[in-house]
Amino acid sequence: MTFYFIRRFLLIIPTFLGITILVFCILQIVPGGPLEMELMKLRGMGGTLPGGEVTSSTGGTTGTINIPESALEEMKKFYGFDLPIHLRYARWLGNLLTFNLGKSYVYAEPVWDVIKSRFPISIYFGLIGFTLTYLICVPLGVAKAVKNGSTFDFATSAIVFMGYAIPGWAFGGLMLTLLGGGSFWDVFPLGGFRSDDFEYLTFPEQVWDQFYHTILPVSAYLVNSFATLTILTKNSVIENLSQDYVKTAFAKGLSEKRVILGHVFRNSLIPLATGLGHALSLILAGSILIEVVFNINGMGLLGYKSILNRDYPVTMGILVISSLLMLTGNIISDIFYAIIDPRIRFK
Amino acid sequence: MSENSKNYKNPDGSNLTDSSSKIETKIEGNDNKKDVSTSIFKKRWKKFKTLKRGYYSFIIILILYALSFILPLLVNKDALIVQYEGDYYFPVFSYYAAEKFGQDIPGEANYRLLNEKFKNDDSDNWVLMPLYPYGPNQNLLDELEGSPPHPPSIGHICGTDDRARDVFARLLYGFNISLSFAILVTIVSYTIGTMVGSALGYYGGKVDIFGQRLIEIWATLPFLYTIIIVSSIVQPNFILLVFVLNLFWWIGITYYIRGEFYREKAREYVSAAVSMGAKNRTIILKHILPNSLTPIISFAPFAVVGGIASLVALDYLGFGLPPPTPSWGQLMNQGLSNINYWWLVTFPLIAMFLSLLSIVFIGEAVREAFDPKIYSRLR
Repeated sequence: MTFYFIRRFLLIIPTFLGITILVFCILQIVPGGPLEMELMKLRGMGGTLPGGEVTSSTGGTTGTINIPESALEEMKKFYGFDLPIHLRYARWLGNLLTFNLGKSYVYAEPVWDVIKSRFPISIYFGLIGFTLTYLICVPLGVAKAVKNGSTFDFATSAIVFMGYAIPGWAFGGLMLTLLGGGSFWDVFPLGGFRSDDFEYLTFPEQVWDQFYHTILPVSAYLVNSFATLTILTKNSVIENLSQDYVKTAFAKGLSEKRVILGHVFRNSLIPLATGLGHALSLILAGSILIEVVFNINGMGLLGYKSILNRDYPVTMGILVISSLLMLTGNIISDIFYAIIDPRIRFK
Repeated sequence: MSENSKNYKNPDGSNLTDSSSKIETKIEGNDNKKDVSTSIFKKRWKKFKTLKRGYYSFIIILILYALSFILPLLVNKDALIVQYEGDYYFPVFSYYAAEKFGQDIPGEANYRLLNEKFKNDDSDNWVLMPLYPYGPNQNLLDELEGSPPHPPSIGHICGTDDRARDVFARLLYGFNISLSFAILVTIVSYTIGTMVGSALGYYGGKVDIFGQRLIEIWATLPFLYTIIIVSSIVQPNFILLVFVLNLFWWIGITYYIRGEFYREKAREYVSAAVSMGAKNRTIILKHILPNSLTPIISFAPFAVVGGIASLVALDYLGFGLPPPTPSWGQLMNQGLSNINYWWLVTFPLIAMFLSLLSIVFIGEAVREAFDPKIYSRLR
């Protein structure tokens, strides 16, 4: 089994290479990249080259400005377009091996520093949202399964259906519109991680401020996976309830509580284990949509903006991190499987 | 991998086939005698009809979707019929300059103004307008006071958007586009996924191992992120967006189909077909495939839900269908960029919510009709 997991970890390497080559090629081959955007800007108004050299200012009656060959070369070098594509990829990969993700075009800082500063914010919301989701959905799912067909089951099913029909980010948007101080009530702030004057607040005020900014985004995270997780738990428990070992447990005189918590529950956790590994990327990388809606400066929003600004080093950096998280998440899921269900043998 | 461990990996699917045969015989025993000969699909359809919530949702969605194709006749700025100076005109189907009807405005005739004019004139001329006389892309800046977006009023029950276009009309047209998009994505991804999945499952061996590696690469790409990257570079149109989404969606189906094929392949009827000299193609298409479609058919409505939600999300981020396509996500984008425009968030959200909810109801009923598992209550 250990051998199996070692092999799985080694298989990350080719998959990872495949992913990065794919996205790297998409970014580099297709027109409209950062170099062309910069050239367009220069032709439009004239300006300063990244190297610091001043190009010809406004003037030419023709309307277009000729950019000197040397300056063009320099720009190509700055944006990393000076080599054929396979060498460019090799250079990027070589840098990656030394943990150098390059330098952001927009922030003029190393990509890793930019991403590192966003990590805690995404983790904060992701972790709270994730914990809350499991704390609510798993017990709810168990309760629904045990009381399958009752009024309680029926009433909560209505909520589950509604949760399925509304994506988390849209729910968050609705809450913002209703409670964010627009045309209706002014209860919650319009998003963000903290207030701007956070540093000047007293400690209790800081706690309150943070709490205030947390509620709506976390509720959006909750809505995101509420329906699927609850139903998954319910179905899993129900399936186990009809197994023979449950009859045996009842027959030997165990209380309902012990049967459910001691026998059924552990067996029902197996399908939930998959979610745990996949949650890794959500916790660490955040949800793009929710972060955009609430203007939370986390990984998701960073990635979104980097695409808008053609900040390719950051785009690739986030891709590297999120795909590594995804790959390790898959393996962690399987490890959880093996822990929860000792009968499972991976070969 | 042993058969056992596969079962544990997919606890849902593994029991399906076993219990199905059991329940099937039960149903046949309970029902009338003539039911024995009805096909399994007919039985499922019958069961589906008994699940009222899903069945009615299905009827409603079907009718609304059919109606949405004749929307130009119901919700439009162009008149259905104009009778002018003894002649009949049908502006819905063709373009008429304003001068034709004696209006002195440039470009196309404004039929709402024409309608009022004819009424006031007391002449024989008349205009028959559609039920809701505003189009999805018509700029109403000249007719409304104040700057757009306008809040809901009696004439415009959902208000207007930032280009003074009627929101209600855009929502209705958006319904057709969203649903068509989601259905198309589902069909295409099912086709590709089924083809790949059945090839992997049927041939197995090296094909399977190699295919699985490639699929793993696809499956690991961060879905939304990559789609945004692709759409940021090429401005997608309807077909291109279906294609882009399908780059990812077919993968989920392959898992199901592959598993089903692995299971079905080992059954006697397949061996029988092989020994009779049937070609691989015949075995895959005629023998195994019909038997392995159950799990993915019962999953289809949920795929449609996912398709609509993805389109709205992409439109919201600005990487969806190109303007001026009427889209729910684009309206929400406007509404969320200025919190005071509550009608631009609330109404598209209600439209999306109601559509998705009814499709979820359909999906729930389909699953119940197709899934023969009977859950026992505790004691």
